[in-house]
Amino acid sequence: MTDDTRDHEGFWHRGKVTRRSVIGYGVSAGALGAAMLVPAPWQAAFGQAKPYKIGSLQPLSGAGAAGGKTALVGLQMAVDRINKAGGINGRPVEIVVADDESKPDVGRRKTEKLLVEDKVDAHVGGFLSNICLACMPVFEENKVVNMISVCLDTTLTTTKCNKYSFRVHDYAPSQAVAFAPELVKMGKKWHIAYADYSWGQSTKDAYADEIKKAGGEIVGTTGIPLGTADMTSFLSKISGNFDGLFGIFFGKDGVTIGNQAFDLGLTKKYKWAGDGAIAESTNLPALGSKIDGFIGINRYIPVLDPPFNTPSHKKFFDDAKARLSKIDSSNPDPDRYVQANYEAMNALKIGMEKSKFRGREDTDKLIGALEGLEMKEGDDFPQGDKTLRKEDHQAFLRQVIAEVRGGKYKVLKVIDKDKTVFPPACKFT
Amino acid sequence: MTKRDKIIYWTGFGVIVALLIVAPLVLPPYWSRFVTEILIWGLLAMSSDVLIGYTGMVSFGHSAFFGLGMYGAAAALLMVSPPNLILALAFGLIGAAAVSAFVAYFSTRLRDIYFAITTLIFSQIFYVIIFTWTEVTGGENGLSFRRPAFGIPGIWTTPFTAETLHWFVLALVVGSYLLLRRIMHSPFGMVLQSIRENEPRTRAIGYPVERYKIVAVMLSGLFAGLAGVLYAVQNRFAAPDFVFFLISGEAVIFNVMGGIGTLVGPIVGAATFLLLREGLGRLFGEQFPYLIPLGFIFIAIIIFLPQGLLGFMRRWLNK
Repeated sequence: MTDDTRDHEGFWHRGKVTRRSVIGYGVSAGALGAAMLVPAPWQAAFGQAKPYKIGSLQPLSGAGAAGGKTALVGLQMAVDRINKAGGINGRPVEIVVADDESKPDVGRRKTEKLLVEDKVDAHVGGFLSNICLACMPVFEENKVVNMISVCLDTTLTTTKCNKYSFRVHDYAPSQAVAFAPELVKMGKKWHIAYADYSWGQSTKDAYADEIKKAGGEIVGTTGIPLGTADMTSFLSKISGNFDGLFGIFFGKDGVTIGNQAFDLGLTKKYKWAGDGAIAESTNLPALGSKIDGFIGINRYIPVLDPPFNTPSHKKFFDDAKARLSKIDSSNPDPDRYVQANYEAMNALKIGMEKSKFRGREDTDKLIGALEGLEMKEGDDFPQGDKTLRKEDHQAFLRQVIAEVRGGKYKVLKVIDKDKTVFPPACKFT
Repeated sequence: MTKRDKIIYWTGFGVIVALLIVAPLVLPPYWSRFVTEILIWGLLAMSSDVLIGYTGMVSFGHSAFFGLGMYGAAAALLMVSPPNLILALAFGLIGAAAVSAFVAYFSTRLRDIYFAITTLIFSQIFYVIIFTWTEVTGGENGLSFRRPAFGIPGIWTTPFTAETLHWFVLALVVGSYLLLRRIMHSPFGMVLQSIRENEPRTRAIGYPVERYKIVAVMLSGLFAGLAGVLYAVQNRFAAPDFVFFLISGEAVIFNVMGGIGTLVGPIVGAATFLLLREGLGRLFGEQFPYLIPLGFIFIAIIIFLPQGLLGFMRRWLNK
């Protein structure tokens, strides 16, 4: 019998409650309780200053749970750093987390709770686009600033934009503007394979338009339903005389297309490029060498080569990696979800400082401070410079085009933020 | 029901309705909205009780009826400016009725697990159509729209407040309950219960069982569609997630928790489930997997209260 087994027996089966066990468990529980009651170090530093409450809606259970937990790491990193440096306007920052369970109805209800009951001063979060869209009117109704930190859907800052919501990361049209000229240099004729749902469809349209504008041609498109485990029947129909295959997928669909396009010889026959989400760092182990030669565009990849060879990025990278290893035993590198949440919180901090934000009564001033905000590369924004456009609250930022080989990224080209600009299509009501 | 029973029943009914009427006046805004939402989910669960509890058919297609009610309302609210409540109700109910007639025609030829699986497949077909037909349905992102005003357009309208919306939802849910109760106590309802108890014998007596089942599915679908319309009006968005079969699964859970064959039990089940989910989230914190203890509580209810929370009142409520 091992010690482990004895412990379990002692706890569960023996049925004896001895004075020693009571004292033992009592001391443990007391220590745990005391640890919970002892204020965090920053609380002593701030004295009685009322903390800013920042709400964060994230999927901590359900389909998006893995990404939501990662995203929260980025937000927590930013808040810890802010509090360590004296808070915002001399006040500490407190995060109020809500789990949307990856469901829009729950997300909507939890957003109401954050805004109506918890009375948060502002919000940083939102992971799944459909939940972001479902919750947008709640921020408008309650007049609270919403810093969208992961949601990618184009319409968030176009047809469904509202004056209270800001997106501090990129969207498909700006990536298409940045990538299309490079794609046309690789080959004139392209076939696009995409995840057949709203994000995939709108991204496909954006790339088709920009490739045509850059002098290229789209010879065909193939929509593949989201979550298709066997894409062979779709991919086997992709043939003919064209130069490159462009993929628009993410998550496990990215792994599926990467592996199956290779198995069918498509990646040898044609140039192979696409949205960087296909070869996100979390997908690389499952793709192995089959993704070698893939060229993708992304705002952030976890490398320490130029343009990410800055001390501020190294600091961000090391801190994020240490924190991620505590929630994921595979010790992953930080991804764009960590980066986007970290930077969205820092953008909010700058806006709050600029507007001397006291609480919700200063929401309009905060909006004014965030509109047109120029963010400079540094400890707050390790990804690079950014501009938060006034007209639609959409950020424009540097993009990197990188090739994957041997499980590593090789940066091929850096596209400056000014070359990613796409005209605004938003009317605030 | 004896005269004494009637007095007890209607007094209890009156007290509960009165409490629900004053709820938005005394509860904080978040909890007031929460109660409204419970009523909507309760209506969905009650609609599925018509099939599960009274006809003995477990349906996993209610998400389709609920979703089509929601998308029907969304279509009306997006097509007409200013948004029109009556049109939203009409479109939603027509959408749900059409889908339930279609599903009923094919699925009622089957029984037991085959019926359940067929309804589930139908709901998934509608889910895939809505999920991928982005130009019309908004795809994964769904549709957002403005809330219509209360009243009759052209004659008198007033914007909904949190209180009036709650009372509007309450009126429709109470009306639906009374109507369904009347139907379930009518000869038609008795035939449905006879089908539940012994389908071959009901057929042998001479009742066209399939026709009764079709009407039961349509009736149930219509009220599920009404719940979908109310959800759309309350939340101002429609999303494909509501057509996904998990919503049907939740309706079944509400029934089992509250007590099938009682109509009011599923509303209690919905309230219990949603309040437990909310309470456990607050108790353990959002970063704790609080759905796990919720699962254990559900299993405990199944083991110790197999008839559901109101199961002990089933016979009395159906007198």
